[in-house]
Amino acid sequence: MKKKFLVSFAVMTTLGTASFAGTIHGKVSGVSGESVVYVEAVPGKTFPAPTQHVTIDQKGLMFVPHITAVEQGTTVEFLNSDSVAHNVFWPSISGNKKLGHNLGTWPKGQRQSFKFDNPGVVSLLCNVHPEMAAYVIVSPTPYFAETNAAGEFKIENVPDGAYSVTAWHEGAKNKSNPVKVAGDTAADFTLSK
Amino acid sequence: MKSKWLSFFSIGLLALISLTVVLLTPPPASAIPAFSRKYGTSCTTCHSDFPKLNDFGKAFKDAGFKFPKDDESFLKQPPVLLGAPAQAELWPRTVYPGVIPGTIPAGLRYNTYYQQVSSNRNNFNLALPAGTVGDFVPKTDFQPGLFSIFTAGNFGSGIAFWVDDDISVAGANVNGALGDGYLKFHDLSRFLKMPTDSLNLRAGQFELDLPFSQARTWNLSGWDIFGQANIGVQNGLIPQFVNNGSALENAANGVEFSGGHAYQGYHYSAAVFDQNTSGVNVSPSNIGPQNGVAFNSDANFKDLYGRFVYRFNLEKDPVSRNDVQAAGTTGPRDHTFLSLGTFYFYGRTAQNVSGVLSDGITPTVLTAREPFYRIGGDVNFNYRNLNVFGVYVAAHDHNLVPVTASGAQGITGFAPGPAATFSGGFAEADYLALPWAMTIMRWDQVKSSADRINFLQYDPAAPPGSSFLSPYAATRNRFTPGEQFLIHANIKTSVEYQIMPPQVVYDPVTGALIKGPFRTNALVVGLEFVY
Repeated sequence: MKKKFLVSFAVMTTLGTASFAGTIHGKVSGVSGESVVYVEAVPGKTFPAPTQHVTIDQKGLMFVPHITAVEQGTTVEFLNSDSVAHNVFWPSISGNKKLGHNLGTWPKGQRQSFKFDNPGVVSLLCNVHPEMAAYVIVSPTPYFAETNAAGEFKIENVPDGAYSVTAWHEGAKNKSNPVKVAGDTAADFTLSK
Repeated sequence: MKSKWLSFFSIGLLALISLTVVLLTPPPASAIPAFSRKYGTSCTTCHSDFPKLNDFGKAFKDAGFKFPKDDESFLKQPPVLLGAPAQAELWPRTVYPGVIPGTIPAGLRYNTYYQQVSSNRNNFNLALPAGTVGDFVPKTDFQPGLFSIFTAGNFGSGIAFWVDDDISVAGANVNGALGDGYLKFHDLSRFLKMPTDSLNLRAGQFELDLPFSQARTWNLSGWDIFGQANIGVQNGLIPQFVNNGSALENAANGVEFSGGHAYQGYHYSAAVFDQNTSGVNVSPSNIGPQNGVAFNSDANFKDLYGRFVYRFNLEKDPVSRNDVQAAGTTGPRDHTFLSLGTFYFYGRTAQNVSGVLSDGITPTVLTAREPFYRIGGDVNFNYRNLNVFGVYVAAHDHNLVPVTASGAQGITGFAPGPAATFSGGFAEADYLALPWAMTIMRWDQVKSSADRINFLQYDPAAPPGSSFLSPYAATRNRFTPGEQFLIHANIKTSVEYQIMPPQVVYDPVTGALIKGPFRTNALVVGLEFVY
């Protein structure tokens, strides 16, 4: 009887653990401004591509927003709201130049779409306005968040478990920390340039 | 006779030195960092290799130093209102509202140079009498360049302004000091129900609407034909009395009407202006203070200049063809285009000389008014990163030669002589191999009858042998390969090697051969930055 109870308790605990959704919260320090924190790929686990598109605008010779975090498989629409011709290209994704791409030219009011199937950091540039820059952070999982100006973040609905969590900041070195999520879990990062 | 030859030679030498200085002195150029600050954008938004404008830069200039559309949406420094826009409704009972830039729209530029001159650089001294101290051209030389300030922008209501000045030197326009300084009233056509941008008015001091700006050239050395004046000397071999200091590159003071666009379609300009056409130096008898205001004109006659050019953008897609920039597969780019243009300059020089009345005795001042014209054509072709262009100019000065009546004690009048002419031009190819590296090949040529007098004291009964590249001293050829590198968008280093083929010239006194006395090859390296 005692043995049966122990087995039942272990199964329930395992199932319970797997179904609990936790939260990763913390702060990115060492840098100022917005950062992105995301959970790295989970071996053996795949996620459906989001159906909702994300828009990045080109307005006043700037990309708006400057930093966009999306899940792998997301389609991003690049809008030109300026009355000058723009271009969007990225020379690589996380340094992999084979994943570089150029979307060409399009006039005011029109959009060009691109589906980001490869995770990593995408540096957006415009080849006629070299001062323009923006970043798309393609997270391999749906568990990501952008920090506020103070560096604070909160990633919700993360299943309990052990993960590698990465913090990215423009111009800083990425930092990945192992995080064991169990309910409300704290994870702080200190980045340096 | 010998002293006469020496006199000719001295004049020739002076002209030679002037020419050498012109050839070896890099002209000023400009890019406008003030606009980078105002719009928060890079120099390369408007310049392919500063100060060479790309198509967007041309449209920006055409619009009165504004973005062609929705300018206010690009401003990072809002302007200061000189009256609320609603004040316009009260006009004329109030001052019409305008704006000034939110910060002083000034840019600064400095450049410095190094030159290395070929071994025949001092050959011309061989023709001087023994013991004469001649001019010395060093083999190598580090040179200070220009420190310049540029201010430009828009005061609202379509009124653009520009003032640039080379602070570190004296002179005017391409020769330094005050360059252009003008107000330009854009799109006056809107008041006359004419097509947009078909009528603008510019007033002040400005460079003529040349096919390619000498004052803002991207080359280390200017194009020879634009700097060519028609200054001859009176002599017995070829009677010529032309002392016309006007060159196309010179500053003009006056007004100019213009219209159209530089990046597509037609463009025209018509200017009425003054230039100093009395020779190298303005005659003191023609210029002087009057109630504290000095006159710029040396004659009543106003010079006239007109230009018309049509540019064909060659993209098949009409949207792309008519836009400011072409829609390339990897981003906006300059159009593939062909432009054909022509220009015409008409002026009249006034030369005062001391003479006598018809009685042959009574002193008087005689004035020779010599009409002149410059006519030219230009072609410009661009395909992606390759830009090939050229200019041809033909110049003609009426030549009134002083005559002395028999028995008179001085000059009594003028008689028509052979016209003083010159012609020539240049062809250039610029290849932007990389966004920061441009390769240049140029050929400049000037054929001048005035040069023949100034530079070659040959015996017309036995003219010297000629070479293919320099058939006589009257013809100057220059081949100039070069390379320019942008270290940053605002820092550029340039190198060019000026090849001037040797020329057959004889010592006028001894008859000895002097080969290539003033066809001096030169390596010029420049370093410049704007901020």
